Amino acid sequence: MTNRLYDFSSRMATAMRNRILMPALLLAIVAGCNGLLDVKSKDTIPTESAITDSTSARAAIAGMYHGLQSLSSYGSDLPEVGDLSSDNAEFSGTSTSYGEIDDNIISAANTSVLNIWAQAYDNINRANEILDKLGALTNLDPATRDELQGEAYFVRALMLHDLVKYFGDVPIRLHPTTDPNAGATITRAPVSAVYDQILADLDSAASRISDSSSTTTASGGAVRALRARVLLYRGDYVNAEIEAHAVESDFTYDLAANYSDLYSATGNSTPEDIFKVIATVHSDQQSFLSYDYFAKALGGTYLLRPTSNLLAAYDTADLRGKWNISFAGSRRYGSKYRSITGTENFPVLRLGEIILIRAEALARTNHLPEAVAEMNRTQARANAPLFVLGSNNQQQVIDAIVAERRLEMALEGDRWPDLVRLGTAATVMDIDPTQTLYPIPQSEIDVTPGLTQNPGY
Amino acid sequence: MSLPRSIWKIAIAVCLAAPFAQANAQGTTPGVAIVRGVVSDSTNHAPVIGAQVIAVGTTRGALTDTAGAYTLRVPPGAVTIRVQRIGFAPSQRTVNATLDGTTTADFVLRPVSTVLSEVVVTGYGTQNRAQVTGAVTQVDGQDVQNQPVAGVDGALQGKAAGVQVSQNSGEPGTGISVRVRGASSLSASNQPLYVVDGVPIANDPLAQQLFPAGSEAPTAITGLDPNEIESITVLKDAASAAIYGSRASNGVVMITTKRGQAGKAKFSVDLSTGIQNAATKLKLMNATQYVTYMNEGAVNDGDGIQFFAGIDDATSTDWQDAIFRTGPIQNLHMGVSGGTDALRYNVEGSFFKQTGIVIGSAYSRANARVNVDYDATPKFSLKTSLGLSRENNDRIEGNNSNDGIVTNAIGQPAVYHVRNPDGSFTSTADTTPSNNSEVYSNPVAIGTYDRLPDVTDHLLGNIQGDYIFNSHLTLTGSAGVDILHDNENQWRSPLVIGNYAYGAHGVAMTTFDNTNHYLLQSYLTYQGGSEAGSSLTVVGGGSIEYNNEESSLLRGEGFSSPEFQYVGSATNLVDFGGIPTANNLESFFGRANYSYKGRYLLQGSLRADGSSRFGINNRWGYFPAISAGWVLSDEPFMGNFSDRFGQLKLRGSFGKTGNQSIPNFAALATYGPANYGGTPGIAPLAFANPNLKWESTNEWDAGIDWYPFGGRISIIADYYHKLTSDLLTRRQLPCTIGYCSYFDNIGNVLNRGFEFGLNTVNIKPSSRGGFSWNTDFNISFNHNEVTKLNADQPVLGDNYRDISRAAVGQPIGEFYVLHFKGVDPATGDAMYSDDRINAGNPQPKFFGGLGNTVGYKNFELRGFLEFSHGAKVFNLMRIFADDGGYSYDNKFTYALNRWQQPGDITDEPRASFDGTSGGRVISDRFIEDGSYLRIQEITVSWRLPAGLFAARGLTNAKLYVSGHNLHNFTKYTGYDPDVNSNGTSNIDLGTDYYAYPRARTFTFGLSGDF
Repeated sequence: MTNRLYDFSSRMATAMRNRILMPALLLAIVAGCNGLLDVKSKDTIPTESAITDSTSARAAIAGMYHGLQSLSSYGSDLPEVGDLSSDNAEFSGTSTSYGEIDDNIISAANTSVLNIWAQAYDNINRANEILDKLGALTNLDPATRDELQGEAYFVRALMLHDLVKYFGDVPIRLHPTTDPNAGATITRAPVSAVYDQILADLDSAASRISDSSSTTTASGGAVRALRARVLLYRGDYVNAEIEAHAVESDFTYDLAANYSDLYSATGNSTPEDIFKVIATVHSDQQSFLSYDYFAKALGGTYLLRPTSNLLAAYDTADLRGKWNISFAGSRRYGSKYRSITGTENFPVLRLGEIILIRAEALARTNHLPEAVAEMNRTQARANAPLFVLGSNNQQQVIDAIVAERRLEMALEGDRWPDLVRLGTAATVMDIDPTQTLYPIPQSEIDVTPGLTQNPGY
Repeated sequence: MSLPRSIWKIAIAVCLAAPFAQANAQGTTPGVAIVRGVVSDSTNHAPVIGAQVIAVGTTRGALTDTAGAYTLRVPPGAVTIRVQRIGFAPSQRTVNATLDGTTTADFVLRPVSTVLSEVVVTGYGTQNRAQVTGAVTQVDGQDVQNQPVAGVDGALQGKAAGVQVSQNSGEPGTGISVRVRGASSLSASNQPLYVVDGVPIANDPLAQQLFPAGSEAPTAITGLDPNEIESITVLKDAASAAIYGSRASNGVVMITTKRGQAGKAKFSVDLSTGIQNAATKLKLMNATQYVTYMNEGAVNDGDGIQFFAGIDDATSTDWQDAIFRTGPIQNLHMGVSGGTDALRYNVEGSFFKQTGIVIGSAYSRANARVNVDYDATPKFSLKTSLGLSRENNDRIEGNNSNDGIVTNAIGQPAVYHVRNPDGSFTSTADTTPSNNSEVYSNPVAIGTYDRLPDVTDHLLGNIQGDYIFNSHLTLTGSAGVDILHDNENQWRSPLVIGNYAYGAHGVAMTTFDNTNHYLLQSYLTYQGGSEAGSSLTVVGGGSIEYNNEESSLLRGEGFSSPEFQYVGSATNLVDFGGIPTANNLESFFGRANYSYKGRYLLQGSLRADGSSRFGINNRWGYFPAISAGWVLSDEPFMGNFSDRFGQLKLRGSFGKTGNQSIPNFAALATYGPANYGGTPGIAPLAFANPNLKWESTNEWDAGIDWYPFGGRISIIADYYHKLTSDLLTRRQLPCTIGYCSYFDNIGNVLNRGFEFGLNTVNIKPSSRGGFSWNTDFNISFNHNEVTKLNADQPVLGDNYRDISRAAVGQPIGEFYVLHFKGVDPATGDAMYSDDRINAGNPQPKFFGGLGNTVGYKNFELRGFLEFSHGAKVFNLMRIFADDGGYSYDNKFTYALNRWQQPGDITDEPRASFDGTSGGRVISDRFIEDGSYLRIQEITVSWRLPAGLFAARGLTNAKLYVSGHNLHNFTKYTGYDPDVNSNGTSNIDLGTDYYAYPRARTFTFGLSGDF
């Protein structure tokens, strides 16, 4: 038995040696060669073949809006720093970057500031990719191309305006690049040039977008509403009033019956919505506004909270004060956003703001009774005491509108850019005038020699 | 992803074709000759037991028995018989074996140092220590067994020169970092390559989806039972490791498992049981001290006091005691091995269980292994190794988390009780005064209600065939698999007030992660010449590896009952994910060793690796190495140096290795999914780099091996210089273009240092059972410095407070924070510099271990010390626990040394509720000296007298009592200075953010063979 086994295995071994084993193994290695080192990824698409038809183009548009959901964009940071830097909110957490923003002593290495800058330009790049690639596609019908490009122009304008509000002169990016040394030629464009670009983009958007019904993507109404805001910021009050008036009369927007309807946890839409960024329960689409403002006892992180100054600014009857600020025990917290799972859609543009833009534009062009009538609309909706024109002069009416704007838009990221626009940020916050602009992130300056830093940093 | 069809077809063809092939010679059964003899010790003529006797050029081998005798069956004709055993120099002789006859060959062996007689495992082969020209350290399997750590990497701490093992956290089953000759990478892995029985296994931290970034991670090597290990060899320099090419930059740890020896079946049992307790406790304030301090802080700033003496401090809760417990630890290992000349086996199984010293944590592991050696013919042998393991790790939320058990136990002030009078858990959510933004979840509640079970199954196996053409040429082919399945579940209960889960009504997550590695390799080995004259060994071959990984994740929130703990019962599915990824590696390698008269040694090797990870322009990398050795003591001009001063060898090496653990698709420009509401979307994800390639390390090494005084002393010392370039970094782009960074190779890191290993036989027993004393000592010095970065831009770590960074001219992980200039005696305010400074190096100046073994009659005492000096630790707990009273966290008692009136000289600032004294500023005030000397182990063992159990067949029975981590001499005020709460980060080193404390263990064990 042993011998036969020995014999058998000996023959096998000999055969292997003589004929099969060595070449077989080497062949095995070489045979695997072809394509062995070209492994395809299963969860990403090569950039060159990403946008090829209308389906992928629409997907890219959705991806562009997804960028607005980012926590460094409207998902958390942008609405928060807009109040944190101002007298509306103060820091109550542990992160040093938010602490600096609250104190208005921001280091150029501040990571929140860098993230806001980076996400805004990421979103601009997404828009640029779409604009360039759609222009080259031949299998797209013109109506779809216009609609989608119009949306990209809108988002680019929105992002550029956010950047210029916080940073002042900023680079204008109009095309995507694959050159890792692109930083060598990037420079900051002066504020006026940026505004020119924004308005040009809004014109391009207006001529292309025909949709007027969507409130979660760019629509004709959204374009005009954004233009109204941009013109107000620019100081072009006459045209700001025209645009705001057009939004009110050419479209079917109306104030929501209750202020609280705007921030519904289920994301329900209201007639006041012009452009809202969707938030859903999925972790990459969640809004963190409620999580950051809520007291810990209610499951939030209590990262920042409304100031006692803001609380005192609301009249006791004002429903907005009750909705925006609440107490957990003795702890004051921001209760505007109430879904602990982060599903409130964020209102980027709504009729309430348009009304107050029109009010201020009217006041500045000395149409005081009409201005007061506009302002009264949001006050009435909120059950706040109505401003009476009486013997108030133009400046007093303007101040009242600015104060009303503060109460109406509280915790939506509007107050700080508003104070900066009005030139009163330094006095209201008791800070140095150089601190009214955020620093250009130091890490950006390090790789972009053409960028200069804002004064004071 | 399955193997390509072509490979399967060929493998099947080979298997089917063989039986039908005709032999072209030998139609007759070959005969058998017998060689037998006795092996004895040259000094005292005692028999040498357990020596290995091999017929060179065949698969035949045997072991000498208790009389030193052996019997070998060999093919007739001239055959070289070779004898070797640890502690003796090898010997060989050629005899003529007569067909059906018996030939006698006796051997007399000369004793040499244990180290010198080692057979060292190198890549694709073995080498005698005398022939080694590179820097290689070998650790015996015995030295890593019976340690109260789950995995062999933890057990290696302090045992090998140049190998720095850090236990980042005391949590069972996780958190070990191993660095061979310093860390060189910022973004790629710094873990060495582990090769188990010839199969490289990936030992990067397992992708764990349920833990915050940077926290501790289990690694694949934890699944291997240390009791299965025969030896561990660490290939440290380029010359020894370059045979593994693009994965060898961080060194290679070769692990060999135990195999059976021919002989009667031998059963072995090893049973140990013990208890673990927290080795140290933090000195935190009790209720009275806390109330006094916090009230003083309030009064100092003109605020109202919030705690009332007599009421709030009526009782004091020690929260550390509330979460600590005595954790039992048990290990049972059983095995059977034996076999015949043709078939040898080793089958073993074990069960290890460790209950954590912090409530809610535990780890257990079951292992099984079957190793079979089958000598099919005198020419062909088959070796299979198969290891299975299942680990059950009950984890707790830990480092880098504000929801951790240890975190909240340290943070909770002593004025709060664990439970309310009605038995429910308290929560500070309702009781804390209004200014507080930090609410402490009740850590006992977390430990009671939350669950984080992690089950990992691991299959590691390979089959290897060796065909011996003749005494010169052998062909080896092998196929190996390394398959790992990891299933993590997490339940965060809504019953814990103050956590996110409380507001979300419960959070449950489940993830599956499957990692598969397949390896096919084949190589030829040529051995020529003799050891006396000149000899040449050449190895050459190739290999292919297929690696793929697939993971999936589900997260649900909103549970109607805290009893429903799985995702399936959730109201909302809030997150889902899954990533498939793969990479392949194709390699060719070759090595040649030449030795002349055993005195002049030369080795050269070359490996070519092609990886799918590299950019299209740099697919293939080439890694050469060369080393030489000169046995100076054997030179005629040295006279009788070697007789008087032992063998002295000088060696030097130079070579290039690589690190290819970059992400699988880092080189490509891609779009990824980016959905908006319910609309599917895509968005740009990554910026391309077609030139992306491996990190490259050039290293030279100079070493001395010296074995004076008849081998009673062994000294192995090395000086090395290692420059790593083309570091994989995320090179910054201007974010303005839409991408903030992309993967590129820029940056250099230098590691240079000195290693020294010493083994001495201080007292040799004059007779059996006499007094003996051996010492082993190793110490390593390493200087680590980043020498180049892109545009000299420092790279920050992951800690959001930006305290650690890699900057040119500094070591990796240098702390970069404000400098604390002291407390102003006039105001009690802490004073700081305006700018950040380089505030400390988390890497030690030197580290090592010292072991002593003393034996007398049947007793043996072993003591092992482990030490590290010069590392700095950033005690992040002090941001809250030593912040001058700004937060409500409990404080270290040394905060009581605070400044109280003008003229006080102290380092602790004034107590200040509003933080005006600057106590909470992040600065080097929180950086402490992490040097330590640890009594790592003291073991007393008693070999049971042979007569006691001999009747039952129990031999080699041993009882032992052991203590581990008995005491740590250190000035550090946290639990243990060997800590890193950012365990998976390369740049954040030496940070302690509420790390799980280490245990002190006492065990009692019994082992024996049947």
